[in-house]
Amino acid sequence: MNEYEQAQQTFFEESRDMLRQIEDALLALESNTHDDETLNGLFRAAHTIKGSAGLFGFDRIGSFTHEVETVLDRLRAGEIALNGDLAALLLESGDHIGHLLAETADGSDQPETDAAGAALKSRLLAWCPSPGIGKVAVSTPSAPAVASPERPWHIAVDFGPSIFRDGMDPLSFIRYLGTKGDVIGVTTRIDAMPAADAFDPEVCHLGFDILLEAQCTKADLTAVFDFVKDDCELRITAPDAEVERWIGVLQGMPAHGKRIGEMLVNCGAVTQHELTRALSTQQDTDGVAPPIGALLVAQNSVPDQVLQVAVTRQRDQRTEESRFIRVQADKLDSLITLVGELVIAGAGANLLARRAGEPRLLESTQVITDLVEEIRNGALQMRMVQIGETFNRFRRVVRDVSRELGKEIDLEISGADTELDKSVVEKIADPLMHLVRNAMDHGIEMPDVRTARGKAPGGLMRLNAFHDSGSIVIEVIDDGRGLDRDRILQKAWERGQVPANTELPDDEVFDLIFTAGFSTAEKVTSLSGRGVGMDVVRRNIEALRGTVKLSSRPGEGTVVSIRLPLTLAIIDGFLVSVGPASYVVPLDMVVECIELPENTPNGASYLNLRGEVLPFLRLRDVFGIEAPPPVHHNVVVVRNGTSHAGLVVDRLMGEFQTVIKPLGKLFRNLQGIGGSTILGTGEVALILDVQALIDSATRNAARQDGTTTREHTAESAFGDAATSSTEN
Amino acid sequence: MAKTIMVVDDSASLRQVVAIALKGAGYDVVEGSDGKDALTKLDGRKIHLIVSDVNMPNMDGISFVKAVKANPNYKFTPVVMLTTENQEGKMMEGKAAGAKAWIVKPFKPPELLDAVSRLVLP
Repeated sequence: MNEYEQAQQTFFEESRDMLRQIEDALLALESNTHDDETLNGLFRAAHTIKGSAGLFGFDRIGSFTHEVETVLDRLRAGEIALNGDLAALLLESGDHIGHLLAETADGSDQPETDAAGAALKSRLLAWCPSPGIGKVAVSTPSAPAVASPERPWHIAVDFGPSIFRDGMDPLSFIRYLGTKGDVIGVTTRIDAMPAADAFDPEVCHLGFDILLEAQCTKADLTAVFDFVKDDCELRITAPDAEVERWIGVLQGMPAHGKRIGEMLVNCGAVTQHELTRALSTQQDTDGVAPPIGALLVAQNSVPDQVLQVAVTRQRDQRTEESRFIRVQADKLDSLITLVGELVIAGAGANLLARRAGEPRLLESTQVITDLVEEIRNGALQMRMVQIGETFNRFRRVVRDVSRELGKEIDLEISGADTELDKSVVEKIADPLMHLVRNAMDHGIEMPDVRTARGKAPGGLMRLNAFHDSGSIVIEVIDDGRGLDRDRILQKAWERGQVPANTELPDDEVFDLIFTAGFSTAEKVTSLSGRGVGMDVVRRNIEALRGTVKLSSRPGEGTVVSIRLPLTLAIIDGFLVSVGPASYVVPLDMVVECIELPENTPNGASYLNLRGEVLPFLRLRDVFGIEAPPPVHHNVVVVRNGTSHAGLVVDRLMGEFQTVIKPLGKLFRNLQGIGGSTILGTGEVALILDVQALIDSATRNAARQDGTTTREHTAESAFGDAATSSTEN
Repeated sequence: MAKTIMVVDDSASLRQVVAIALKGAGYDVVEGSDGKDALTKLDGRKIHLIVSDVNMPNMDGISFVKAVKANPNYKFTPVVMLTTENQEGKMMEGKAAGAKAWIVKPFKPPELLDAVSRLVLP
């Protein structure tokens, strides 16, 4: 048996003694409940078991005994009285500790014992209702990244006069600092030293200026002086990098309802002790007390620049608070739903009025329709939020990730005040995160590579947002190496996604990145490179009825543009019909309406629109409608971003406000349909998924032509299509 | 020469484990089973640091510290007190008596060594 095992043996014996003492004391107390010495002995016995168990790492025993001790502490303090129930419970708990001891000694932990322990624990907890009695959770400020030692920490410490008498050796703290990092310089301050004849060897007049190179936080260094914190003046000046980190954390910190001191402590710039000291100074001040920030700066606890950032953050938040009313999202959602129903009901009334042909009725329903439109816009506007807050979250991400990657990357944000629907904002954060990380990891080169290529060593990420024809466009821009077009194509050939040695235009090549499992990364990093992700990004964006496109120039960088609808709930639609069925095309996407030239052959899939190729689809064929075709067909020219197509329909029925109702699960995979809506007549109309239809039209036309249609003009045999009316 | 640390606690097992840890780190150890017993061992020998429990029979930690600080031979000896988290009042009392360093029970040997090494290196 070694020394340690011997000590364990002592522990078991001693604990069994203690348990016997507990039992005796409890039995004695039942007859005479107010014997302080017995109570104290009872508490001490439990306390000793807990303390020793903790030391040996017997956490099972320690944590259970802690609960018993808590109850005994209350008993000792007179907060609760010992009655038969409590005595029985404590005796049972004593037996339980006995079981735990026996099992720990044999190394045979039984799960049933733990279950019994949990039951006892909850009964014990019933005797200490206030949560404050238990272990106080110590909140550690989040301080993940640590500063690199570019400039050393400067620690100025003036010891109080009493520390020699307390047995403290000032030098021991400097030696201990040496275990945290490299002490590169110590200067002794002797300005407080009295004249030789007034010298008292028991009184300390010493102070030190210490320069320390260490990867640590301010809290770590303050902890070194924990034992003398009440008896010394401690001023810690952080390296620039650490100060920068504090500022970064402050900027990413939600300042809602927080006090300046709290913000500074949370970011690690000020320790709790420094704050407490400043607060007590503030309280002791007669008359008008200075603000806490000024006191913290005055006692050298925090650099002024850090304080200013915190103050600005708080002020921004305050002014925002006074300008805004917080409303529960549910309430807004139900308002929007109601407005949607109002829109539909209004359309119904309008229709009836038109049928009745009564001019005064028509006029009044027209006024109602206009008002409904305003209400709709107003209601939707309420859900609009600025994208800036989402963008700002990336400051922290860019900062942390660039440090992790060893790159220097700055983030520039523009168009932060661009507004879009709250539900869209929430769902776009994840895809954006992925794109930003990807760009930082794969796009932006290491500083030495950049320098060699004649670029600035620091990379630049840009997040930009703007409104464009009824959509919002969000761009993620980097100035990195750009996409390697040839490698992507090569990889696609290898994977058989594209027939070998077939050339593709640039944007189609870049589009390949969005297919599942596609990765050209040579090494997998912790951030990206596994080929999962970009397909998910596209799926997420498409789920929002959005599109994503890449453009890139080798050596100059990449731009990812995400185009999203402004809102998900209500749109202005353009109603068309094919046979008996009605369809809605989102009005933003309608460019113009033309008549289909009569001489268009039946199997044709593109026509000549003023000299440009326009692929088109006959909705009649797409949706398999068998009603007899009309004499004249109409073509609705639609556009999404840069791609165009024509949709051939029977009749054009004009503009119409519509509420998007999602299709059920059953129809989720339906191609070309994005949702449904209810018309004023009560009829259901399907909302077309324009992007899917454009893609399908483009594919058909390409198949018919044998190559891509892009650079070709339509055969002149079709003649010029006549323009009948122009929308948008 | 190795520095000597006095460990005062009524739990023999706790004393033993602390002694093992301290000896392992290169200190010499003197044990006391309570305040009264420990005082008899302050017989003029050099003690560099005292680690003492608060709640002990016969003489508790606070009275012990007061006695140490009143002894001219030992008044400059630093004292580390072992306490539990709900003894805030005791802590104030102890600080007033001259024990400035506190360790919260339950603790693990490395935590004790870390605290001790701030005051006395082996």
